[in-house]
Amino acid sequence: MSDTVKTSADLDRLAKAGSATLYPGGLKILVGSATCGLAMGAQKVEDAAVATVKKFKADAVVKKTGCIGFCSREPLLDMVLPNGPRISFGNMTPEKTREVLSAYFTNGAVSPEAALGRFTGEDHVLTGESHAYGTIPAAQTIPEWSQLDFMRGQKRIIMRSCGSIDPMSIEEAIARGAYRGALKALTTMKPEQVIEEILASGLRGRGGAYFPTGQKWKFARNAKGDVKYIVCNADEGAPGSSMDRTVIEGDPHAVIEGMIVGSYAIGARQGFVYVRSEYPLAIAILEHAIDEAEKLGLLGKNIFGSGWSFSLSVRRGAGAYVCGEETGLIESIEGHAGEPRARPPFPVTAGLWGKPTVVNNVKTWASVAPILTRGAQWYASMGTKNTTGTTIYSLEGSVNNAGLVEVPFGITLREMIYGMGGGVRDGKACKAVQIGGPSVGCIPPSMLDLAIDSVDIPGKSANMGTGGIIVMDQDSCVVDMTRFLLGFFVDESCGRCTPCREGTKQMYGMLDDIASGRANADTIASLERLSRAMNATAVCGLGNTASGPVANALTHFRDEIDMHIAGRKCPAGVCSMKVKKDCHRGTENAEKTELEVGG
Amino acid sequence: MTVDTIKETQPAAQVKKAPVGAVLVCGGGIAGIQASLDLASSGFYVYLVEESPTIGGNMARLDKTFPTGDCATCIISPKVVACMRDLNIEVITMAQVKNLSGEAGNFTATLSVRPRYVNEDKCTGCGDCVERCPVRNVPQEVSAVVVEEALDKKDQDLLDGLVEKHKGDPGALMPVLEAINRIRGYLPRPLLEHAAARLEIPIAQVLTVASFYDKMGFDAPGRHVIQVCNGTSCHSRHSQKLLAALEKRLGVSEGGTDKQGRFTLKTVRCLGLCALSPSMRVDDVSFGRVDISDLDKILGQFK
Repeated sequence: MSDTVKTSADLDRLAKAGSATLYPGGLKILVGSATCGLAMGAQKVEDAAVATVKKFKADAVVKKTGCIGFCSREPLLDMVLPNGPRISFGNMTPEKTREVLSAYFTNGAVSPEAALGRFTGEDHVLTGESHAYGTIPAAQTIPEWSQLDFMRGQKRIIMRSCGSIDPMSIEEAIARGAYRGALKALTTMKPEQVIEEILASGLRGRGGAYFPTGQKWKFARNAKGDVKYIVCNADEGAPGSSMDRTVIEGDPHAVIEGMIVGSYAIGARQGFVYVRSEYPLAIAILEHAIDEAEKLGLLGKNIFGSGWSFSLSVRRGAGAYVCGEETGLIESIEGHAGEPRARPPFPVTAGLWGKPTVVNNVKTWASVAPILTRGAQWYASMGTKNTTGTTIYSLEGSVNNAGLVEVPFGITLREMIYGMGGGVRDGKACKAVQIGGPSVGCIPPSMLDLAIDSVDIPGKSANMGTGGIIVMDQDSCVVDMTRFLLGFFVDESCGRCTPCREGTKQMYGMLDDIASGRANADTIASLERLSRAMNATAVCGLGNTASGPVANALTHFRDEIDMHIAGRKCPAGVCSMKVKKDCHRGTENAEKTELEVGG
Repeated sequence: MTVDTIKETQPAAQVKKAPVGAVLVCGGGIAGIQASLDLASSGFYVYLVEESPTIGGNMARLDKTFPTGDCATCIISPKVVACMRDLNIEVITMAQVKNLSGEAGNFTATLSVRPRYVNEDKCTGCGDCVERCPVRNVPQEVSAVVVEEALDKKDQDLLDGLVEKHKGDPGALMPVLEAINRIRGYLPRPLLEHAAARLEIPIAQVLTVASFYDKMGFDAPGRHVIQVCNGTSCHSRHSQKLLAALEKRLGVSEGGTDKQGRFTLKTVRCLGLCALSPSMRVDDVSFGRVDISDLDKILGQFK
């Protein structure tokens, strides 16, 4: 085929086409249309923009883009002015859209009050170059985007193109440097050199375990066998995290490129992206992106004429949290119930269909390309000595600026919550922060100043896991939250091993006792005992860590629990201190009996 | 099984000293074994008659014993061995007592012993005869799974398309089930049976997989499916109240379908709209920062 990509010149040609739509010169209107934007009505905003452009017969293009991370200001509409800056407007409605656009079309006015921020340029992380926007006097009073509270301190590596490109256009991704890393790896490097580069960069898995990625690749490369697989884990089942969805919806090629490089380094001819079915838009965008890459010969046979072949396909989950565990995920791809396997053997030696398999998270794959184009040293210069680079956290709950922040490791929770997050909503005090997905639970404000590393909060039984940060104010109750998290594990335990299947239920019951005023001092001792037993004996990570929220609540919020037990009172007024109907414990009959007892 | 040999057993009448005679124990389970051992050690000659090919009974199949949780095999194995070695115990397996005559102290028992088809004196229990058995090892024709109920054209086309798309894929089951569930809204039983037959996967395995995943259902949902996010962030922003309001409005509890068959109400562990909590989704349309007063407007879009 004549239009397949073989050389750097071919990429240049596509980049030129991409630049033409990325920076068209005329007015460009961008609507943030990831799932978060759409949930807030981005489609109506886009319709209003299209209608307004038509009404004024203006020379402007309206395009969709991914989420830039500032979810709490969705829907976002950006105007890239001809020879001027890119201006972002938040909390848009169809009315506001018509107002803003009409004002501009009538007399070129840009109202600084309505605007959220002004971009002076766009960094192309992959190439190290940048595209500078022009300036116009009318917009000078609008605060600079990078100087907004929310953006200050952020470093966009993984989300390098999210919210800037049209995710359905591979040319725009290439215009920002995509596939240069893959080209470099496949045409100028040996697989071992690629692994060395990843090792030197210090990249660790972003799925929550922070295992050195280069090591994992090396194990798989050295594992016996001709058939090997790589998998992208996009089964982002942990509640409170949406960064994987955002990356795929905003810049699917970041993941694809990382996987091409990985396949070459490891020696895998086939790859899968396992996406949870709750993300239909992400699946659609990713499938489209794979199609586009295949058409250009970036996936398939003889990529870049290097002789290397790699095919990639999407697999959908079906609503099982435990499939985010790599062996559960592998079982699911094989067509079984997603019950985790006992390890060892680890997937790097015996994974999919018994073959060596590397499973990495979306953010890990998306971090690969910049390491190749910019070098391991550049990457290792960010973050801490132990954990290099950046990762994405999801700031949410009772925080003013909710959204996704990408930051280098070493930052503190306080910087994120009070800096980028703009503090707790309604001026309330922060009572606790629920971090690291459901398996960590709540930590107290006294721990906010610890720098986050890969083991995250050093010496403490908490880590950032998948990266959700849920801020809880005084009006929330730690017992209620802990019970909620245990309820999650009751639902999601696959039931294979007894410690997890029965232990989660019993723990939930005990927490329910505490929340409904039936607990006594023995309850705490039982909780502690059970939590140790589960930690030591469950088959997989889900069961091992299910007791995490309980352990952290007992360590850090003992006073509050004691108030529930001794005083039979919930200080925040959340727990009803009455027996609840939706008790997870026992059979229906047992529930009825309990209800009678509880009155 | 026909009766091939009849064995006559006579009590040893010549023995004069007390205790005298022989005892027949029926049943070679743990109780029979223990009784035989006790009797033999008391000086009786014991005929231990067992219907199955071996002694040991049910206990030999158990892992643990109630209520102590002791290892069953560890208890029974030494007793079985002792029983087989005791010169005063004659174990007669594959046998049934056909008749019993006489009086206390002097019985005659008639046993019917089924054949083993091997020379018991030479048999070492190696099992090679099983492998070589000319009767057992005749290849059986495997009949194709026939599903009685035919599919309607639409379902047939859907299944044909999916089977074609995933031909030769060893992990075809998940994508096929997921697609049926997504397109049809649930997994109709006839489609599952046909899919199992076409993919040559036992229906039991298909059902195991299908019942594991929350998203897959066996009952037809309403015309629209409401998913209320029950993730951590939404919980902290009172998604319970949103769910309660929907339950009240639709007159159903979580998992139910309203009387008109318009809405099925479900919860989901996180839609990934954590910064816009509480959130919900109707079919594929997401709604963020939902206020209970917005519900009219939201539900009104779905007829």
